[in-house]
Amino acid sequence: MAEMQNSNPTILNVADLPTRSPSTIKAADYGNGIFAAVPNPADFLSSDSEDDDLLEEPIDEQEIYDLIKCISDPEHPLSLGELAVVSLPDIFIKPTLPNVPDSPLQTVTVLITPTITHCSLATVIGLGVRVRLEQSLPPRFRVDVRIKEGTHSTGDEVNKQLGDKERVAAALENGALMQVIAKMMETCQ
Amino acid sequence: MSALQKFMLVVEHDKEEAKRIAESVAQDVESKKTTLIEIVQMLGEYINDEDPILRGKAVSFLTSVIKSLSPRFLSRQQIQVLTTFFGDRIEDGGAVAGLQTLQALDRFTKEMVTETAQALFSNFQDLQSRSQSQRFQVYQLLNNLMSNHRKALLEMGDTSLVGIVDLMTGEKDPRNLMMVFSILKVVMVEWEITNHVELLFDSVYNYFPITFRPPPNDPYGITAQDLKGRLQDCISSNRLFAPQAIPALLDKLDSTSPNVKKDALNTLIACVHSYDPDTVSRYSITIWEVLKFEILNVQEEFLSELSLTALQGIAQRLSEGVTEISQDLPLAQYLKPITKECNEQLQEPQQKQAKPAQQILASLSSSSVLAFALLVQTVVAPIFTIYQEADGIVKQRALLDTLSVLFESAIQIFGKWTTRGAEVAFENPLLEFKDQFSDVLGQALMGAAKEEVSFRVTALKGFLRLSTLRGFFQDNEIGLFVQYLDEILLQEESVGRDDLKKEAIAALAEISKHKPRLIMDITFPAFVATLPDEDDGTNTAYLSTLDTLAQISVERDIFETLFRRLFSKLSILLQKEQPGSVGYPRAILVTLLYVMQQRDMKVDPNVDLYFDKIVVGLCRSVSEAASGKAKNRVLNDATILDTLGRLCNLLVRSVSIQKQEQAAENVYSLFALPGDFSPVPFFHGATADQERTAIVSTYLLAGLSKDCANRIPHTCPDVSRLIQDLVMRSVSEDTEPATHLAFLRQLALLVNKFLSKQDLHIAETAFDGLVAGKGILSPSAIRTVFWLSKALVLRLAPTTTHILTSLLGLLSSPDQQTSAATARGFSILLSEDDVLSATNGATIRLLSKQRVFTTVVPMISSRIREVNIAGNADETQTKPDHIKPAHLTALAGILSTISTALVMPELPTLLPLLLQSLDLQTLDSVAVRAATLDTLAVIIRDNGVAVIDKCGHVHSLVERLLKTTQAKTNSSAVNTPRLRADALKCLYLLATKQTSADAGSNAPPPPSISPLLPEKNQVLRSLRAVLDDPKRDVRKAAVDARGAWIRGVDDAPEEED
Repeated sequence: MAEMQNSNPTILNVADLPTRSPSTIKAADYGNGIFAAVPNPADFLSSDSEDDDLLEEPIDEQEIYDLIKCISDPEHPLSLGELAVVSLPDIFIKPTLPNVPDSPLQTVTVLITPTITHCSLATVIGLGVRVRLEQSLPPRFRVDVRIKEGTHSTGDEVNKQLGDKERVAAALENGALMQVIAKMMETCQ
Repeated sequence: MSALQKFMLVVEHDKEEAKRIAESVAQDVESKKTTLIEIVQMLGEYINDEDPILRGKAVSFLTSVIKSLSPRFLSRQQIQVLTTFFGDRIEDGGAVAGLQTLQALDRFTKEMVTETAQALFSNFQDLQSRSQSQRFQVYQLLNNLMSNHRKALLEMGDTSLVGIVDLMTGEKDPRNLMMVFSILKVVMVEWEITNHVELLFDSVYNYFPITFRPPPNDPYGITAQDLKGRLQDCISSNRLFAPQAIPALLDKLDSTSPNVKKDALNTLIACVHSYDPDTVSRYSITIWEVLKFEILNVQEEFLSELSLTALQGIAQRLSEGVTEISQDLPLAQYLKPITKECNEQLQEPQQKQAKPAQQILASLSSSSVLAFALLVQTVVAPIFTIYQEADGIVKQRALLDTLSVLFESAIQIFGKWTTRGAEVAFENPLLEFKDQFSDVLGQALMGAAKEEVSFRVTALKGFLRLSTLRGFFQDNEIGLFVQYLDEILLQEESVGRDDLKKEAIAALAEISKHKPRLIMDITFPAFVATLPDEDDGTNTAYLSTLDTLAQISVERDIFETLFRRLFSKLSILLQKEQPGSVGYPRAILVTLLYVMQQRDMKVDPNVDLYFDKIVVGLCRSVSEAASGKAKNRVLNDATILDTLGRLCNLLVRSVSIQKQEQAAENVYSLFALPGDFSPVPFFHGATADQERTAIVSTYLLAGLSKDCANRIPHTCPDVSRLIQDLVMRSVSEDTEPATHLAFLRQLALLVNKFLSKQDLHIAETAFDGLVAGKGILSPSAIRTVFWLSKALVLRLAPTTTHILTSLLGLLSSPDQQTSAATARGFSILLSEDDVLSATNGATIRLLSKQRVFTTVVPMISSRIREVNIAGNADETQTKPDHIKPAHLTALAGILSTISTALVMPELPTLLPLLLQSLDLQTLDSVAVRAATLDTLAVIIRDNGVAVIDKCGHVHSLVERLLKTTQAKTNSSAVNTPRLRADALKCLYLLATKQTSADAGSNAPPPPSISPLLPEKNQVLRSLRAVLDDPKRDVRKAAVDARGAWIRGVDDAPEEED
């Protein structure tokens, strides 16, 4: 690879990245710690209750974040989450047609913060995020990936590129570019 | 025709015959029938012939004859003559081999060595144009001269040096090179080379880097690594090479090939370790200047690691023999630019470049105590300054990380408190900063905002390292840390994933190994004080307290304290009229059980005490409670009895045979005083409370050694009455579930572990009594049958096949209930059990699982085929439709308890059955389908798609998996979230395991189109909808599976490097 543009970015600790807090913490539960090792004979013959099954878990911002935080930066062996290129407060899910309350259509907006303002790879990163989301979200979601305002010297230019369906489609036909993007997504598991 | 002529005729095509001729001539020489002179004269007419082949054959004849002579036959004079003769004709075939033979003789003198060497040097200028095998022969001769007559060659001085180098220059064959390198290395090490440094260096360095790749199926088995190793030995063999070698190797780091760089670094490391410290010192800073870039701008992880190893090696060499620290040391000179660089990078420690700086510090500071001291002197103070001025916690955390690196090195150099062996003579330079460390770390750990978990965890880990570092903190300073940890665990609310608490527990456990006293004096009182007298249902915080206590009490002294404290809590509870929830006493028992499981109780000196308190004391209390004489009903509770039973079981296994016999006699009476308690066996009209004591009895029985069998009550003259009694109790429908399980296990234990071979018929009679001639059985009876079968099958009783056939027969019972209960029972047969286990000395034969599998599967398969055919042929369905699901359920039960290694050979039979299992739709088939998906996942994971493709079922499998991933189905089918996620996992595995695991090693599979390709479109379309599943876990699995199919399933297999 050519000379790196930003060879010394700040890195967030993986443990500090936002995660979904375990929803039902029972702080003191016989199922925890050393007490899980001994089966409770009261469980005997009881069948697993699947009451939770009916509970719906809608797609939320954290889920979108989890989908894209693991994408690798094309320049560093680090993830977009660690480099704070994507962050939870910069992800929004809104109904696409607010005037039609029954419409299932949703729009996901992801704002990207490049590590430096003149990063020429911003477009590639944006494309990567876009591809990842389009592969991973159901068809009723519209994906909108943009550079966060004021974080890039040619942000408008990049946004135009990322927003233009034709240009995105053309870019995805480009073999070399797709190889870079496939490499970025290898770390998504 | 003379022997010579005969020899020359056959030598090319019949080696054996030629050898025989030579041997017979040799015999003639030894028995004086002919002389060597005559033989040499015989050669006369050929050795001056024009044709070199003819000459060669003639000389070979002489060589063969000499080879066949006994080693002491030739006189020195004869050897001299022959040496000269061969030397003169050294270019002719056979002469080198002749000299080879001669030089091995005792009478081969120094002069002859010189003569031979001279002959080699002056006649083989054209050696490199000869064949590989001829060159090999020459090198072999030289190599032998080197090992047998090195002194003579050494005395030739420059002549031999130059001669050897010239002779071998230009060699290209890997087999020959192996020898060339080893000969040259001897010259480099032992010859005086001052005048020929360059010549020698070039002679080997020209081969760097080695790019040799052995041809496939190379019969000689020489690898590039072998050659690299020998070349490296040569380059690093003599410090005089340094002026050439080190700059040249550093130049190679400009290469674009990571492999070349790797070779250069490895060689450099070898040089650092073998050149003398003065030489290393001269180049140390130059090396640092170059390697710095490899570490700071990581190109490949391994290059950075090798560079760090090289830097560390230099520091180690420069520390050799140094006893006092001073700034004039070569070591200090070397470290100066390094610390400068690190200090600069650490100015912004949260940035990416700080990581390599930390790595440099880590490897250099752990290289020697001197390097450690010098680094600490220059690095620690600036870190404190940045820390004080830091504008954010992220930066401070990164600095604490850096300090931790130094603490880790300190541990490597000075050891932990538990490290044995002498202490290091130097004072630990970190001691100077001890109070500062304690302040900063304490402040970070306890003063930071509670949400700053990762910052506090970093501080905690640093503090822990210093606390375990030998001879560093005083006990009261570690005590302070222990108090912090107690506070975190006892007073702080949980935050997020509780990482800090987990680390705190781990830290206390670690300290308990080094300073058990501190844990007993500080942590124990604090924790025990928070334990309530009883659980009044308002607060269950005691659970996490007990959890922590359990994890820090593995050390012997601490455990003794724990036991005393908890046992007295428990005793008080048992005396209370109102003891509160039984969860609390159970938690206490579980805590004791957990710690005892972690320790080796067999060697604990207090084990008899624990036995008396728990097994004797508490069992007696159980008997009292069962007779209604206790203050409360704690010991009437089944969960308490189960936990107590496990504890007793462990203790019985750990005590002496005498104590075990005592336990055996009291298995049923539970140490009750005579008349106080009626044991369960043969006690008709026992209350539920009394019957429940069977839980403890069963665990006691399980712990006993087989040697105590005769001490168990009711077993003389035979156990048939006891077994009958147990069977009778087991088939009863109104026993409590926990008590029922205890009876079943007890029955199985007696039959499997204690019944002698002669008495097996007792169990078989019981089995037949339950099963024979009956089409309808109660659920309890079916469970009894299966536990009895389990006991017999695991020891591979002679009637195993009969038992399995009978069980399968029950599946076809016209009674749907019987059939369904039987089907579920099959999972009991081979499943692991806590009581009937190898630990408890049960008889579990290795082949039992295989036997069950190979007996049952073909029978199930053919039965299902029958049912299928009958169903198709006859619209009226003569067979009830519960039979097929019952068989599939039974199969799933068996599969879930055996390893896939056993399954693989039967896969072609099995796969259609598994696919039919996936076709089941109803709610009660969920468990069967889940088990089937588990089995499929393991099969795919371990063996890849190929095995499924071989059976021709890829399409059917994918189709059914996709059907199972649908949350909403048109039919009545029920796909629970777990089933959907499992099916997706199978799809994911299919796409990631397209080549089987073992194929990767040598022969790459022939390029072929993936069998998954025809399915790809369908899968991607179908999974797109699953991405909208209402459940998050299912969506996650769908994303992974879809991604794997998008990326992994392609028409052209991926090109491997």
